[in-house]
Amino acid sequence: MRKYAALVWSVALNSFLEGARSRFFTMFAVFAFTAVYASVLAGVMAVDQEERLLGDFGLLLTELTTLAYLLFNASSSLLREAETKTIYLVFSRPVPRWAYLAGKLAGALLTGAMMLLLMGAIHLSLLYFRGFGLPPFYGWALAGIFLKLCVIVSFAFFVSLFSTSAVSTLVISAIMWTLGHFAAEARFLAEEAAGFKGLLLGLLINLVPNLQLFNARDAAGAAGALPASVLLPAAAWTLACYLAGLWLLSRKEF
Amino acid sequence: MRSRGYGLPAAALLCWAAGAWAGASYRAPFPPPSEMRAPLDGAGGDMLALALGARRAFADLWFVRLLQYYGRREVSEVSDQPGHETHRHRVDEHGHVHCDHGANYGKGDYPRFLPMARHVLEVDPSFTAACLYGAGSLAFNMERPAEAEELLNYGLKYSPKEWKYLTVLAAIGYSKAQDPAAVAEAIKPLLREPDCPVMLKQLAAFLNKRAGNYAAAAAIYADILATSRDEFYLRNAERELRKLARGPGARP
Repeated sequence: MRKYAALVWSVALNSFLEGARSRFFTMFAVFAFTAVYASVLAGVMAVDQEERLLGDFGLLLTELTTLAYLLFNASSSLLREAETKTIYLVFSRPVPRWAYLAGKLAGALLTGAMMLLLMGAIHLSLLYFRGFGLPPFYGWALAGIFLKLCVIVSFAFFVSLFSTSAVSTLVISAIMWTLGHFAAEARFLAEEAAGFKGLLLGLLINLVPNLQLFNARDAAGAAGALPASVLLPAAAWTLACYLAGLWLLSRKEF
Repeated sequence: MRSRGYGLPAAALLCWAAGAWAGASYRAPFPPPSEMRAPLDGAGGDMLALALGARRAFADLWFVRLLQYYGRREVSEVSDQPGHETHRHRVDEHGHVHCDHGANYGKGDYPRFLPMARHVLEVDPSFTAACLYGAGSLAFNMERPAEAEELLNYGLKYSPKEWKYLTVLAAIGYSKAQDPAAVAEAIKPLLREPDCPVMLKQLAAFLNKRAGNYAAAAAIYADILATSRDEFYLRNAERELRKLARGPGARP
């Protein structure tokens, strides 16, 4: 067991370092610049609500930047390794496919967690320099963003195993991410629709992960922004994508 | 491992179903889409707010748009005296000119104010400061208490335990009964709250000054100076504090 854990860790670490060396720091620079620029605008426009606006936009930028990077990484990683034949080197050693995919996913999520923490630090220091404290829901918001990323990144890995290009994986994953935020509204429409239409819509909703469950960033004003019960759907959807991806990977001829 | 069977996809489907089942009972704390009355020029923004899961951020943008809309001057309030350019002076029945230093600030029709303020809450009903700001402006600046009550009642629908809304509703009731001292007393507990709009603080200070509670008025002006970032209110608070320091009733 320890041997397999070490294998997963090796692949994850390699994937993380590869990510960190590529566009990692460019993303930070873009984020930091945008956040500073937004803070100047916010100061002029929001007057007494500057703290709220800075907090909300900082978290949104953090999420979008991390999501963009991780989706790009997840959609191109396996494809690139197949094209450059690196994957043959890996599988010529005693590395099971499940360990390889788990390592890739863990590496991407490790990169995501690191990006969230560093960008969170940049964001909080910006708030501090503008004279504001730590928003009360900040930790929950970051945890919710991470859970969303777990689901959507594992979905992107799954899609990348059957899609023909990185762009199509990116587009499909981005559509799923968008649909995931519409889940609550779609459920409302299903409940409003009568008869067969409502039934069909109700069934279709289950094909989309409800990302609003983890959206503590948005539900900050509501009580109990991120209950422990959301860990189960997050784990179930991530595992489902991983298992489906593993099935596709196991059918490939490497 | 070269799996040709269907064990893995079956397990994946089971996991997906478990996730869907675990999240099925979730109900969003937001108004349903049927309640969102987006203005035509804002429908795209609302779609983005939902698609990105960014209701709070887009509610912030709507609030900024509301501030900008209300910031446009509808009533011409000018004076040629230095330091009084931004407001009009009142002339009483004896022909004496009185300066209320911006008591007319915010007066006007602003027909889109209520729909815009309500829309902020439709996007994010937990935005308490926006509701208080909107209701206070409607009730006390524009003298449209019915619209202010409508806005507060909409806010209460999604935040039924929000005592600040009830406080402003009570203040509006006193305002209708022409009892300014009771209005000042009613909104007093709100003034200590961090999300209390500076406009309500200004109103409380003004009413206290009129009722002869100069110490209370000075304390509120000092609080505005310490907490607000709005240039207009800051300048006004400085001026009022100077006047109060010279003694009650002193001319500007």
